[in-house]
Amino acid sequence: MDPQPEPVSYICGDCGQDNTLKPGDVIQCRECGYRILYKKRTRRSNFPFFLS
Amino acid sequence: MEGVSYQRFPKIKIRTVRDDFMKFELRETDASIANALRRVMIAEVPTIAIDLVEIEVNSSVLNDEFIAHRLGLVPLISERAMAMRFSRDCDACDGDGQCEYCSVEFHLRAKCINDQTLDVTSKDLYSSDHTVVPVDFSDSSSGFDNSDTRGIIIVKLRRGQELVLRAIARKGIGKDHAKWSPAATVTFMYEPEIYINEEMMETLTLKEKQDFVESSPTKVFGINPNTGQVYVHDAEAYTYDDEVIKKAEAMGKPGLVEIHAKEDSFIFTVETTGGIKASQLFINAIEILKQKLDAVRLSSDTVEADEQFGELGAHMRGG
Repeated sequence: MDPQPEPVSYICGDCGQDNTLKPGDVIQCRECGYRILYKKRTRRSNFPFFLS
Repeated sequence: MEGVSYQRFPKIKIRTVRDDFMKFELRETDASIANALRRVMIAEVPTIAIDLVEIEVNSSVLNDEFIAHRLGLVPLISERAMAMRFSRDCDACDGDGQCEYCSVEFHLRAKCINDQTLDVTSKDLYSSDHTVVPVDFSDSSSGFDNSDTRGIIIVKLRRGQELVLRAIARKGIGKDHAKWSPAATVTFMYEPEIYINEEMMETLTLKEKQDFVESSPTKVFGINPNTGQVYVHDAEAYTYDDEVIKKAEAMGKPGLVEIHAKEDSFIFTVETTGGIKASQLFINAIEILKQKLDAVRLSSDTVEADEQFGELGAHMRGG
């Protein structure tokens, strides 16, 4: 499906650290090992966006 | 149709003026004028408010539209609003609202980097125009402690959360959205006129007088401690609740006091959001009301106007 599996950024639910995960990675914070991560907004989209 | 003129010369007496508060008397006019002024002050005097928000990054706990709504409600200094254009009839920018005549751009960029919760407030909004900025209450009133009041809180961020956005503020009126209303409250009351039937009052015992005075939920009457006479302490405290009238009847003394609302005197209380001064709000309201009357006058020659405004048009031509 995805042309290039781009890494996506997440914020750790415990320590607030930024984490980049690729498909298939274990969902776990690299800093503190917490297993709840919140996804950040991405710029990739199916339809082209014409933002200024 | 010609002949009678209904022209009157209303008088205004200002009692109190502060930046965001004003109390004044309006006399020698009628309720239609008083109410028109009140309604124009609330819904038709323009201000500037954030109307378009482009959110670039938002990892806060509030969603985009929630933040956009909160930004819209932040009062902005709108001294310039009367001279600005509505973005819908701005010639310079076909109404996309990004030119100097009809809009002001704001930027906000905040990120929490430590363990302390970061409050994103109206002070984090950076304006492209120094005359249009969020209102600042931090040092104006010393009523409550303002050790850490830093503007109006928009959202709180925990460690790692970030908010980046661009906002466009536009001129608008309270009719379209309450965020554009410059008024916090605008009220008027009829001035009460209170007659005490002194003869009948003297037939009461001191105890009865005290009961009568205390029957009013607000302190309208008082008793002179020396003469024992009942006097009007504060006529304007009367809320038209009829309690003293009922009390007089219950005591078997109907007509002990008579209270009338003066049909041509109004006491106004005006309080603004801080976007414009209360005095300016009133001046602008009169200006808008005049513009609206001009619109009627301009169309008063046409046939449709005769049907639409009928007698009103005739009166305006007559006097």
